[in-house]
Amino acid sequence: MIAIDGLTRDRGKTRILHEVSFQARPGRVTGFLGPNGAGKTSTLRILLGLDRPQTGTALIDGRPYAAWDRPLTVTGAVLDGSGAHRSRTARAHLRWVAASNGLPRARVAEVLDLVGLTTDAGKRAGRFSLGMSRRLGLATALLGDPRVLILDEPINGLDPAGIRWMRTFLRGAAAEGRTVLLSSHLMGELAETADDVVIIDRGRIVADGTLAEVVGTHPTLEDAFLAHTAGEGTSW
Amino acid sequence: MVNLIRAELLKLLGLPTAWVGLAVGTLIAPLLALLNAGSIRAAIEDGSYGFTGDLAYNSIQIVMLTGLILGVVTVSSEFTPSSADSPGDRQLTTTLLAVPRRSRLVAAKGIVLAGVVAAQGTIAAVATLLLVEAEHGGSYPAAEPARVAGAVLEWTLLSLLAYALTLIFRNGIVTLTLLIVNAGVVSFSWLLLKVTTLGAYLPDIVGKHMYLSDFGDVRIHPVVAGTVLLAWVTALLALAVRIFRRREA
Repeated sequence: MIAIDGLTRDRGKTRILHEVSFQARPGRVTGFLGPNGAGKTSTLRILLGLDRPQTGTALIDGRPYAAWDRPLTVTGAVLDGSGAHRSRTARAHLRWVAASNGLPRARVAEVLDLVGLTTDAGKRAGRFSLGMSRRLGLATALLGDPRVLILDEPINGLDPAGIRWMRTFLRGAAAEGRTVLLSSHLMGELAETADDVVIIDRGRIVADGTLAEVVGTHPTLEDAFLAHTAGEGTSW
Repeated sequence: MVNLIRAELLKLLGLPTAWVGLAVGTLIAPLLALLNAGSIRAAIEDGSYGFTGDLAYNSIQIVMLTGLILGVVTVSSEFTPSSADSPGDRQLTTTLLAVPRRSRLVAAKGIVLAGVVAAQGTIAAVATLLLVEAEHGGSYPAAEPARVAGAVLEWTLLSLLAYALTLIFRNGIVTLTLLIVNAGVVSFSWLLLKVTTLGAYLPDIVGKHMYLSDFGDVRIHPVVAGTVLLAWVTALLALAVRIFRRREA
């Protein structure tokens, strides 16, 4: 269970998050939707203890991320790419991460297999394609078999097969009772994956509910999104 | 904490640059001792070498390079982009997700760094001193274990100094410029020493008094030198932790 309550954050003199509040529940995929620069990544970074808010709380199963002793056993997160040093092999990267949280070394081979990187395990992260980096990032997030998954734009850089794999994987994770929160600016993708949708626009939550509730009377999630954000995304 | 230390050891020793640092500091000192053996022997024989009391310790000074390189690399590797395509993708994010308590992270990195540098320094020093003894035995005072320990302690503390500075600047170039160029090319500390004796207490040179008996015009007792260097390292590490804890990743 993820509970975000009243997050406010300033960058310089600009307020980039205004009283952001929402929840992501176990057993459901929650899509966090918004245009580029709306505050999705900023919210997730605060949730993961990487940045600090001016006010508000962001809790995972009732505690801030940093309060968990072995956080990877509770939460798995994928932010930007692999998060690995370019000269390290995928296997070496996963080994140190596993060691840091007291996870068995056998998990390394398991997660490599799970994301389809077994044959590339000895390759250096700097030689990975964008899609492979994403997979390595996901493998890292899955090391601790966490009950909460947080993914920032997880399908960026994936090919169609990878996108389908990710969708199936996330649905499966939710079906197992895990809490899945994923941010995206791709509405078509979220409409196929999410149970619940939270829309953020210019740092404010403008819609929050089940997919059906957020779509409402609009023909598609995209139409609902444009209506909620007054169509003020990128203008062409 | 044991898990963290294991992880940081795997991380440090998994970096090719760290092995370059280990190889440089371990091989250069004995190699230079071998290459310089003839000219040193000749200089001792014709009396131009001068004070031979520090001959053993002079031969091992360069081992300190490993500590400086590892102190920088353990931090700078966290900030290196994983690929040219995504500059924001750095190992630091993974590190802070795995170990969100930043003070513990800094401590674990410091413990691993100090342990590796002390072990490598001891091996390199003993190997070099055995070689020097074989080349020049009898013509200079043999190395005292306490002073060799002082040298290893200086390298270990300097590695922690490099670590703290790189953590503060988030950039290895600044640290390397400050410590290596200052030590090897134009020494600001050395120039300052000509103006005021307080220059002798700057962190990059004060530690030399822990094992060299003739270093500059100022005499500082080894224990005092070690205490001053320790104070520098403690203060800079405390500042680094304070900044690192407050800074957004």
